[in-house]
Amino acid sequence: MNPVMTIAWRDIRSYFSSPKGAAIFFFFLGFMGFFFQNFVATFVEMTQRAPMFGGQAPTLEQLLRALFYNLHFILILIIPAVTMSSFSEERRNQTLRLLQTSPVTATQIVFGKFLASAAVLALVLACSAVYPLFIKAYGNPDVGVILTSYLGVFLLICAQVAFGLWVSSMTSNQFMAFLFTMFGLFLLLILNWIAPNLTGGGILESVVKYIASTDHLDVFFKGMLTVADVTYFLCFTVMFLFFTNVVLDSQRWR
Amino acid sequence: MIEVSGLSKRFGTVQALTDVSFKVEKGQIVGFLGANGAGKTTTMDIMCGCIGADAGSARIAGFDITETPLEAKRRLGYLPDVPPLHGEMRVEDFVTYSARLHKIPAARVKGRVDEALDRLSLTEVRRRLVGNLSKGYRQRVALAQAIVHDPEVLVLDEPTEGLDPNQIVQIRELIRSLAGQHTIILSSHILSEVQNTCDHIIIVHGGRVVQQGSYEELVQHMQSGRLYRLRVARDASRLAATLAAAGNLVGVRAADDDEQALEFGLTKDVGDEALDEVVRHTVDGGHGLRELAAKTKSLEEVFFQLTQ
Repeated sequence: MNPVMTIAWRDIRSYFSSPKGAAIFFFFLGFMGFFFQNFVATFVEMTQRAPMFGGQAPTLEQLLRALFYNLHFILILIIPAVTMSSFSEERRNQTLRLLQTSPVTATQIVFGKFLASAAVLALVLACSAVYPLFIKAYGNPDVGVILTSYLGVFLLICAQVAFGLWVSSMTSNQFMAFLFTMFGLFLLLILNWIAPNLTGGGILESVVKYIASTDHLDVFFKGMLTVADVTYFLCFTVMFLFFTNVVLDSQRWR
Repeated sequence: MIEVSGLSKRFGTVQALTDVSFKVEKGQIVGFLGANGAGKTTTMDIMCGCIGADAGSARIAGFDITETPLEAKRRLGYLPDVPPLHGEMRVEDFVTYSARLHKIPAARVKGRVDEALDRLSLTEVRRRLVGNLSKGYRQRVALAQAIVHDPEVLVLDEPTEGLDPNQIVQIRELIRSLAGQHTIILSSHILSEVQNTCDHIIIVHGGRVVQQGSYEELVQHMQSGRLYRLRVARDASRLAATLAAAGNLVGVRAADDDEQALEFGLTKDVGDEALDEVVRHTVDGGHGLRELAAKTKSLEEVFFQLTQ
């Protein structure tokens, strides 16, 4: 087996041979279910009320978009929980030495870890498909929008995992890794809203807004698939994987 | 087989290693001996590519660890001082994982794992979780991890640490059975272990190699400063203080087996006339000389003298 796959497979198994994997699934799907139930109830209520007040009834797409926005929020809590252990735990248990003294490169280690975390989250994401499927069973949503939204969220997950790995590679303390990843991702989410306060307008504001993940994700949620936004997430992912690689490699020189 | 030259390493303000050089021939077992904090683990970490050196190089089977790390690491089995174990894995899964990391062809993985488990008598616990094993078993799992890919060079950092006497004997036998086909370097602060197991001994102290050679060579080298045993009738501890203050003597201490006996060595540059002075102190102090004899040295005494 390729060393990348060996490392990834061990990590994936490790998520599920401890309660950690189960806990992640439980909280993610539990919260998603709670929000789904709530949103659907609101959706039904608003649909019934709309004719009475002469307003427009909400569309299924709006319901889905609300659901996906929520997904973004939940991910901010879930991603750090998945990535925090990837390097920090190995460092704390000294198992990182096993990887460092094996004939594998730092890049292979980073890709292995990335694949493992991304695969676990992709699995979680796949399970969350039960909610859109529910809507599909009882309604008539645009399947294209659901698919692009899922692609967007998956790309977002890859970017967030890369960021989480980078943070995790710098500390042997899992809690610190969790905290820093969570706040980093949170900052990325709200960057769009606080950009005017940070920069006072101008070109700088648009740069900061570009860095934020929200606008790019919106494009996917609207059912569009653009090269620019796919590139944004891919660049983000590659950049932080590269940073992780640098951190890991540089430790041999400290 | 192993060639280390001019290694230096500094951690912040602490100079961990200074110009450490040694060579290990193929098939040898070499003991790396030093007190805690002498630089044993740092040297091994550098040799295995975990950390980098500030200066110097290490070659494993002809491959430089920093320039051709993959080739060097493929020929290397490392047991660090803290066993690198994943507690949530089963013993056989963990050893299989290690075998795969070391790029053993898929068809041979199972055979190699079985052999490693068998060698370390881990077969009956192969389905247990590593985290649930006792310390001795865990140490053996870590050792299985190091030998599973049949490396040419084995680096063992305190392999018998935390084991019970039976297990220590077992591990020692295993290490000796691995010699010949493998080149082994093992660190320890337990002198008897090194004396019994190793062909060649390297003594490190304060980040420097202070002496190296076979056990006989080391002892012979130290004969210039011979060790003596002095037994008196009374007040040995007071005499010890007097002698220590007199100079010319090193390592004055009470003997382990007799409270009225002392042991001491002569510093290298003084001759046997220093003994006259010892006798004079003994008689003048009214201690009553009973016995003064030269001792053959054990490794412990060589070590003691070198690292004072």
